[in-house]
Amino acid sequence: MFALYKKELQSFYYSPFAYVLAALFMFIFSVSFVSAISDLTSNTLKFTFSNIFYNNFFYFIFIIPILTMRSFADERRGGTEVLLYSSPLPVWKIVLAKFLAIVTVYLFMMATTIFFPIYAAATGGQVVWPALICAYLGFFLWGLVCIAVGMLLSSLVGNAIIAAILGEIVMEGLLFLDTFAGSRLVDSYPHLNSVVTWFSMQRRFVFFSQGMFRLEDLIFFLSLTAVVLIWNILSIEKRRWSHR
Amino acid sequence: MVEIRNLTKHYGRNTAVKGISFEIRDNEILGFLGPNGAGKSTTMNIIAGYLPASAGTVTVCGHDITEDAIEAKKCIGYLPEIPPVYPDMRVEEYLKFCAGLKGVKRADIMPQVEKAMERLVITDMRRRLIRNLSKGYKQRVGFAQALLGSPKVLILDEPTVGLDPAQVTEVRRLILDLKRDHSIIFSSHILSEVSAVCERVVIINKGEILAEDTIEHLEASMTANTLLNLTVDGDRDTIVRIIKDVQGVKAVRDIRELAERRWSLSAELENEDARGEIMTALVSNKCGIVEMNMAKLSLEQVFLKVTSQAGGKRSSLQDLLDETPEAPDNPYDSE
Repeated sequence: MFALYKKELQSFYYSPFAYVLAALFMFIFSVSFVSAISDLTSNTLKFTFSNIFYNNFFYFIFIIPILTMRSFADERRGGTEVLLYSSPLPVWKIVLAKFLAIVTVYLFMMATTIFFPIYAAATGGQVVWPALICAYLGFFLWGLVCIAVGMLLSSLVGNAIIAAILGEIVMEGLLFLDTFAGSRLVDSYPHLNSVVTWFSMQRRFVFFSQGMFRLEDLIFFLSLTAVVLIWNILSIEKRRWSHR
Repeated sequence: MVEIRNLTKHYGRNTAVKGISFEIRDNEILGFLGPNGAGKSTTMNIIAGYLPASAGTVTVCGHDITEDAIEAKKCIGYLPEIPPVYPDMRVEEYLKFCAGLKGVKRADIMPQVEKAMERLVITDMRRRLIRNLSKGYKQRVGFAQALLGSPKVLILDEPTVGLDPAQVTEVRRLILDLKRDHSIIFSSHILSEVSAVCERVVIINKGEILAEDTIEHLEASMTANTLLNLTVDGDRDTIVRIIKDVQGVKAVRDIRELAERRWSLSAELENEDARGEIMTALVSNKCGIVEMNMAKLSLEQVFLKVTSQAGGKRSSLQDLLDETPEAPDNPYDSE
């Protein structure tokens, strides 16, 4: 399994693909960071890193489908999936190896942002580390779900570009689940409201970004990731067993 | 080594493989022959564990391919029709990855990769990006991949497609060389290729096995059939009837009208003795012989004949070739 993980990870760095995405992410992050800092004099907003994370996730979530779009689609197109499925590696290990590779790239991208709090602390700013770590954790956990969803789409659709476009739509849906829950329509059905609210990731992310760690949220994100990954494994098995 | 029992594969309403059974014995090269779309690749994909079968079993080295998949797949090296290579990887790097994927121990990876590259003569290409390689070289990289992990069974789906003649000879020599350590199943739609390397051959068409026989029998059946090509003046039905009536004529076919009352046809003879009788019979019936020559039934003709016939499996190729089904609209034309 390690061989596949290593190959997947390398595949991101063969081309400028991962670098360009990381650069894009850093650019967005820096711009929002600088603009937040420049607003400090107006004193209407209290600057915290957690806030920056909260805002940035809304941009970052749209980068994830681009990261995941090729995971299964390219194997299918290139005919290399024969190699994987005829190797003595069970499907769940194949999915897990690919997932872990993308998570690693994701962690690298997240790690680039650590420069800002360190710089702030070094130049005399006050950084609340526990709250910041909590925000990082929330950022990471939500990302896991998005990566799992992106991979599932890539495996279902089998075409990288379509997988990416569908991924953007699904991400948009995940983001606005919260708004949807608060809408008049859903609000008029209390049961529906509670279900939609329960699934709303943005609401849970808010707790993390405010430095509040709840076990419930941790379990929610991890189990949702697991469910989507298992779905992916089953869909691959199903596709092999049914006719093409 | 490998046992295939009643293998069936449905794709929706189509049945690609219809309950076929055969086996690959230890250290033999089995040729798997059939025209394009006969179900060769599907069968090979199932044996390699890539596709599951709709019904039937495949047992590799005593392990069932679906129930004991991991152990069974460890015994298999598979070269699919399209070599499964990653264009963005370098040759050596790709082979190292494949070795790791197949669970080769870390210490054995480099020696095995070196050996595979030497065997396929791609050591000079080790630092090249696979995307920049020619088709022949890609095919060789895919072949090298199949050798990693020293599998007992090699499944080679049309390994010589896209190679130049020199490379084809090289690959054939390699396959013969590999026979010492591996059992090999090798598919092709070119009969001469199969006869060059295989001891036994399985002929498949439309998802059914038409024949399973040794190459010696195949060659014997070829020489047993002599073909007489004739150009005769006269009435079509009369000519065909006269020739058919001669003792030792098995079939009359390829009847074409060359000109007004001039016909070209081929008669399949049991031996050359019938030739004289045909001549006498034609002349005494006032049919003028314009041209006449003898030919052996070529391998390709045997193959075409076998695959153009429908129906179940025969016990040997000879039986199959002896059968000459009569077309209902023309009792003399066997085609």
